[in-house]
Amino acid sequence: MSTAATVSEVRRRFGRTQALDGATFEIGTGVTGLLGPNGAGKTTLLRILATVAAPDSGAVSVFGRDPSVASQRVEIRRRLGYLPQDPGFQRGFSVFEFIDYVAILKERTDRQQRHGEVRRVIAAVDLTSVSGKRVRALSGGMRRRAALAASLLGEPQFLVLDEPTAGLDPEQRLRFRELVSRAGEGRAVLLSTHQTEDVAALCQDVVVLDKGRVLFQGTPSSLAAVGDGRVWLADERVSSAELVWRTGEGRFRHLGTPPVGAELVEPTLEDGYLLLVGRFDEEAAA
Amino acid sequence: MSWHVSEQLVTSYVTGELQGARAASVEAHVMTCVLCRSAVNAEIPPERLQGIWRAVEDEVDAPRRSWAERVLTSFGMSESDARLVSVAPSLHASWVLSLAAVLGFAVWASNARSGGATLFLILAPIVPVLAVGGSYGRGIDPTFEVSVASPYPTMRLVLLRSTAVVAVSGALALVASFFVPTGGDAAAWLLPCLALLSITLVVARWFTLPIAAAGVAACYALPLLAALVNDRDVSRLLLSASLQWAALALVVGSFVLLTHDPMIRSALRRNG
Repeated sequence: MSTAATVSEVRRRFGRTQALDGATFEIGTGVTGLLGPNGAGKTTLLRILATVAAPDSGAVSVFGRDPSVASQRVEIRRRLGYLPQDPGFQRGFSVFEFIDYVAILKERTDRQQRHGEVRRVIAAVDLTSVSGKRVRALSGGMRRRAALAASLLGEPQFLVLDEPTAGLDPEQRLRFRELVSRAGEGRAVLLSTHQTEDVAALCQDVVVLDKGRVLFQGTPSSLAAVGDGRVWLADERVSSAELVWRTGEGRFRHLGTPPVGAELVEPTLEDGYLLLVGRFDEEAAA
Repeated sequence: MSWHVSEQLVTSYVTGELQGARAASVEAHVMTCVLCRSAVNAEIPPERLQGIWRAVEDEVDAPRRSWAERVLTSFGMSESDARLVSVAPSLHASWVLSLAAVLGFAVWASNARSGGATLFLILAPIVPVLAVGGSYGRGIDPTFEVSVASPYPTMRLVLLRSTAVVAVSGALALVASFFVPTGGDAAAWLLPCLALLSITLVVARWFTLPIAAAGVAACYALPLLAALVNDRDVSRLLLSASLQWAALALVVGSFVLLTHDPMIRSALRRNG
């Protein structure tokens, strides 16, 4: 796995909020998932990697280029696809017009070639039937797919996706997984999400961010392993557990320190993540 | 069907050698005869057919060109640059109408009382400045985040959009100045306007364009408006030769600064 991007001791503050506090990690080829609770600093980190924002301190490198140097920043942008958390759309633009507009920003000046590429990415996200419709008249999921299509223009070497599955229905999410999985073949994809299922299904590597710091970097199975010996099922709710919920089968799944003789089960990636970022003790004390 | 198109006719039809009535006759026949249509299809090179289909698709999908795009391309701007410039919010009808309303108010106020041209002379130079501020920036351009992350030079986009919106808003202000009783000094706002625009572009190196424009406009207009409200004689200052010279010096100074900016030089060098 070759390194596509490195983030070293990156700090960024907004007023009194320390969004990033010494985040350090590497992104290789393949799909890397970025997990973290709200306010963990995920979007700030993605914006820095997408060269939209600059860190207050620390070093960032993408394909060995330094985004703080103007000429190298342009080189990074030529190889970058970026889906922001809240993508906007020009007033009155159709899906085709919007993606064509982004293609121009990506220096595709030859009209016929550009239109061919626009049609390709529209087909990739399954929006061909509505390519002439105004973006603002579409559903939230379709708008998200249009923005995703724009990020795929030119088959970028580094794809930065901020919550791409928000608002997608289950079928669209499966299609999205197929798309991202293909995009991650030989290229680098950084995927920020709250959906641990997407990470488990897609990612070769996971980074967990909390309070601006990297809590974990490793494979999805090693994140799940954080829950080894700390997840059990019982017919009754055990109040000493850190987190308990009733499953579809009517039993109670517990996270925390198991009582003697508990029926331990294989932890999922979600269990590992919850145990890693869970601040159950703090919440109980509050 | 009593006849079919000969092999030779098919070849001449496909290559375009067949002209006039004979070509029309073959075409009418091919439309109704499956056999001859297959013969014609087989004769057309696949890459040519693909090219034709691509051209058809291109025409069908081609984005609608707005009035602003048509005007910009008629001035020689490339189709792709015109697309990026024409979506500037301050070129939207709502913006243009708002600016026209501000100028209309200034013209009305100027004619409503003696010496009222002062208000117009204060407001006219800041109208293009505000239009430039409304052409690009976070919260102004819906695709700002995506455009920043793209390789297209931001400074080039700013300069192209600024030029377009200054042309529109400046023309509006110029037309309005003909209705203002300034006694031959109707164009006295032009140099101060150019100076404010140049300063805005210089300040935009450190601040966002909307903030730079709003700040420069406020720094210029608010003290003058305050003086006007307090019945000070502002018109003498606005029409004075010293103000014009100061404005000219600012334009030249800003021009020198801007043309030595590597980002601006690179934006201006770029073709297409």
